[in-house]
Amino acid sequence: MEYAVRLLNPGLLPEDPRRLCPVKWRKLLPDGPLTAVYFGSEFCQELIPDLKEAEEFCTLAKDAGLEAVLLTPVVRSDGLCQVQELVTELESRGWSPTIVFNDLGVLRMLRNEHPEVKRQAGRLLNRALRDPRLAEQPLESQTGETARGEQIRALLQRFGVAGLETDPDLEGSYLGDGTTDLQRVLHLPYIFATSGRNCLFKAEAQKGNQNFAKNLGRTCQVSCRQRGYSVERSDLERPLWRAGNTLFYEATQALVEAHLGRADRIVIHESPMS
Amino acid sequence: MKLLAPLKDSSEVEPLLAAGAEEFYCGLTPATWQKRFNQNWINRRAQGSAGVADLADLQQILARAAGHPVYLTLNAPFYPAGALEMLVEFSAALLEEGVAGLIVADLDLLLALVEAGMGPRIHLSSLATCTNSGAAAFFQELGVSRIILPRHMTLDEIEASLVPGLESEVFLLNDGCVFEEGLCATTHAAGVFCLNDGEEAQGISGQTLEGYEFWKWTLNHCGCKTSRGYPVGPCGLCALPRLLRAGVSSLTVVGREASLTRKVASVGLAAMALQLARAGAAPEEIRTAVIELRGGASLCQDAHLCYYPDVWPEQESEEAIC
Repeated sequence: MEYAVRLLNPGLLPEDPRRLCPVKWRKLLPDGPLTAVYFGSEFCQELIPDLKEAEEFCTLAKDAGLEAVLLTPVVRSDGLCQVQELVTELESRGWSPTIVFNDLGVLRMLRNEHPEVKRQAGRLLNRALRDPRLAEQPLESQTGETARGEQIRALLQRFGVAGLETDPDLEGSYLGDGTTDLQRVLHLPYIFATSGRNCLFKAEAQKGNQNFAKNLGRTCQVSCRQRGYSVERSDLERPLWRAGNTLFYEATQALVEAHLGRADRIVIHESPMS
Repeated sequence: MKLLAPLKDSSEVEPLLAAGAEEFYCGLTPATWQKRFNQNWINRRAQGSAGVADLADLQQILARAAGHPVYLTLNAPFYPAGALEMLVEFSAALLEEGVAGLIVADLDLLLALVEAGMGPRIHLSSLATCTNSGAAAFFQELGVSRIILPRHMTLDEIEASLVPGLESEVFLLNDGCVFEEGLCATTHAAGVFCLNDGEEAQGISGQTLEGYEFWKWTLNHCGCKTSRGYPVGPCGLCALPRLLRAGVSSLTVVGREASLTRKVASVGLAAMALQLARAGAAPEEIRTAVIELRGGASLCQDAHLCYYPDVWPEQESEEAIC
């Protein structure tokens, strides 16, 4: 097992990223070296880093002898251009971070325009259930079947993709049994429950114009990076985390245990982040 | 540009054709599925509330549609391990029966159908979140014949996502989603997750939360219909002239599970607006005609119901229109 860490800012790297996990199941995680630093955004086009921030993370990774990994979200056509420009600019400055794509348009762009760039399939390509209301139910993976995702894994290999990422879903078999060359990456400790384009933080920044229908297409005027917080809902047994446009919850011990055996790398998130 | 209407059973075909439907979509769950994967909905709706009862009724639908295309939803965001083989066989059988195409979201299933030679009969569901021209080209290269764009896109973004030679479909009427439905990992089988979102939100003002609640209410049809029997949910009718110019192929009226009364009212309203757009009417003329037929003028104020509020210049949409 190897570890990666996703940080809010290009600051200090933790000596042992497992310390960022909840104490109650930290001990489940085996020993292993820290090999990569993740940055960028998986859920919001507005949070794609600019060149300066990306270079800061690439520098942090290089100085520590780690792999830099840029997360990219589902994008509209202008966001696709933004990702392409960022990758091109980074390349022109000598940086070549691994790109995690959550959008097949980004995969196509990388394959056609930057074929030499290492690319990984992000966790949003796995559309399995993660409903927090069902998180205590027995996993489908306990049936022993491993066929889910087989076609996707074959496609990714044809497209020169190096790895496949997920967080713990309620099915359990997406990463496969390790018979492909794809690196299998597990994101912990936060599972995404749902994500959308309309966002309370964005609406709050509209200053008195809280028309959510029109807000959908508006550009976000605020950074939500430092504003993740816990949400208690009367219909849920577990707290959620609201970070930007996405709701997360903390993985249960059973879900972590069910996925650990299928992972080659664990990415530990410092906090829930869009 | 065709008007695509939802169906639950064969008795709905003729009234919807009369109301102006030009294409249909529906869902069917095979008996073999229910035995093995009963806990998983095959097409995002409970069979009992929104699905065609059985193959015999689907055959009736195909016969009564009189050549109008009928598409089948296989649009679950994922399918459980062990399901693909059954779904590929089921899909082939449906196409053999005369179904014109399959609406598919799960990439694993889509790739299996492509491998089985059914790519040209696949419509990519909005749940696959194809939101840019690169993703559209990716699916076109796989052999998919139509992309259905997600709800939460502006008209500019829709136009920028269209690819020559690939059909496109957009949402026109009814049933919004709070989150991006393709990126929502919850299930309505456990209740509608988003309805309770925002009940506690640190650092967010009461005014913003009130706006959020109001928006969710509009997405859910304002909990009512007009006195003339028309739904008052999300609506893209005034954007029809621009969608027509952009070359969009098909327009979805949402609501397989709805009553026939609501379906006929929705399709009739959409057909009237489409007829105006085809005749060259401007958005303002369509809005006036829609309000005249449907009622509910106050909800058109400030673009509250608009799927595509950018059809209105920002200043105008701030003003009351009634």
